[in-house]
Amino acid sequence: MPIIWVEGVGRTYHTGRIDVTALVDVNLSVQPGEFVAVVGPSGSGKTTLMNILGCLDRPTAGRYILDGTSIAELDDDGLAALRSRAIGFVFQSYNLLPRASALDNVATPLIYQGVGRREREARARAALDRLGLGDRIHHEPTELSGGQQQRVAIARALVTEPALLLADEPTGNLDSASGAEVMALLHELNASGRTIVLITHNVEVAAAANRQIHVRDGRVLS
Amino acid sequence: MNALDLVGLALSRLRTSRLRAALTMLGVIIGVASVVALVAVGQGATRGITTQLQSLGTNLLTVNPGQATTGFTRGGLGSASTLTLEDAAAIAAVPGVAAVAPEITSQQIVVAGGQNTTTSIIGTTADYATVRNETMWVGTFLTPASDAYKLNVAVLGATTADDLGLGASSIGTDIAIAGIPFRVIGIMQPKGGAGFLNQDDEILIPVGAAQDHFVSGDSVRTIGVSVASAKQMTSVQAAITTLLETRHAIPVGGTDDFTINNQTQLLGAVSSVSTLLTVLLAGIASISLVVGGIGIMNIMLVSVRERTREIGIRKAIGARSRDILLQFLIEALTLSLLGGVVGIVIGLLVSAGIGQYAGWGFVFSPVTVIVAAGFSAVVGVVFGVWPARQAARLDPIAALRYE
Repeated sequence: MPIIWVEGVGRTYHTGRIDVTALVDVNLSVQPGEFVAVVGPSGSGKTTLMNILGCLDRPTAGRYILDGTSIAELDDDGLAALRSRAIGFVFQSYNLLPRASALDNVATPLIYQGVGRREREARARAALDRLGLGDRIHHEPTELSGGQQQRVAIARALVTEPALLLADEPTGNLDSASGAEVMALLHELNASGRTIVLITHNVEVAAAANRQIHVRDGRVLS
Repeated sequence: MNALDLVGLALSRLRTSRLRAALTMLGVIIGVASVVALVAVGQGATRGITTQLQSLGTNLLTVNPGQATTGFTRGGLGSASTLTLEDAAAIAAVPGVAAVAPEITSQQIVVAGGQNTTTSIIGTTADYATVRNETMWVGTFLTPASDAYKLNVAVLGATTADDLGLGASSIGTDIAIAGIPFRVIGIMQPKGGAGFLNQDDEILIPVGAAQDHFVSGDSVRTIGVSVASAKQMTSVQAAITTLLETRHAIPVGGTDDFTINNQTQLLGAVSSVSTLLTVLLAGIASISLVVGGIGIMNIMLVSVRERTREIGIRKAIGARSRDILLQFLIEALTLSLLGGVVGIVIGLLVSAGIGQYAGWGFVFSPVTVIVAAGFSAVVGVVFGVWPARQAARLDPIAALRYE
């Protein structure tokens, strides 16, 4: 069973009198353990696609089944619960909570799963250890380098053991050395069985993935 | 997500912006403190007045002469001299009356050794002690025997005794009232009371002695009546009215030449006025509580705007709208409750200070404290709900992109 099953998905924005169509008839599927890159220039609709894949937005046409759950049947809280259970986000700008320690940041997704404090801290600590940040757990985001912040964000994405890791331009804000480090990390995670979808405009970064899906003008090309 | 996590989250958030939290709470602190303090002051004042009224006597009816009418001019209350000692004797026979003390009064110069003062000389009977709730500090009160034999004996109020430099050792010595020697047989306990209502500046002598030396005729200034039980106040008042109307030959429907004041009614009137005042004060104070609540709402709205991105992140990583709503609501509630607790403490301190100064002591009213705490919680919820809903409704995509 694929983790991602997208069939005939379209997304039209109704802004005032003009309808803007961002995605048209998108079909794709991702199998467990794959490392897929969604590539396209800005304005291609890849951000819209990533919002839909990440259950932050709903398609206006077609079907999307994530990890066995059809999102058409879910209300906002249902989507939130699905995000909590099945998706780990890694953003271009890290999106860590300011004025919260690395440990608190990584533990936060577990709060929304109703995990108790002791277990939350143990699992967050383990996730940070795994990413080589064991000595930085009490640092706040402003006290960490860009590469370290992105690793904290990855730890946060992994702490819930999600079915899918969704990375949106994860190297976009990083220098090349840190970027390479993060890419190596993603490869390592994929090698240990994690399913990863990477969204990028950078063809070089996309080349690192096992499979590439090209998006242009709201359509999937290949 | 459980409530304890949310409270922890709210507290850690408030810790990171202490000054802002303190300033936000200030409105609620002032509101709650003024409600607590003003209600306590109102209750203290009520208690002070009530205690003083009760010290005038228990189950007291006061019969006063009515208005004198000369031609077309009507005098003030008490200007007539229509009540007599015989009236007092007749009232004593009314069922339910426990004690009757007529009073005839005159102002005289009193000399004791080298000291002198001018004070009220009240001619009365042994029943006065019961009617006016007097207790002795030293010596004895007037007795039926001293009344019967019109002895020249005097019982001094505490203030008068002080003015004359008399103490416990002065019992049995003589003082001169308008040049006539009287033997001091007792000094009464002070009752307190201030200003024109000083009940401790008086000298009591047997009514017969007063008539012999100071006042001619047998008209009395007032007749104090002590009723056996509080339940009988109204019926005894009616019986005395009927009795005096008959004795004074007042036609049915005519104007009585006397008035009867009922202490219970007076107490009721005073306490209803002061209750009204307390409610009024609390009402004015609660306006500041509402203003404090608006302050919380203001800051929470700013906070939602500032933390839009945080809200987006939380939603992306699995927070439901309800989780966000509760987070912001509990933050507002924490602000208002903490403000409420601090306000209660300050309010109690202020009211204790005022009570100390005014002399009615510290009135602790648990009801006020509970109501104030409940009110501040309500303020937190009412003024926190709107900002929290704003936060909960944010679209995660827009919130994540917000700079």
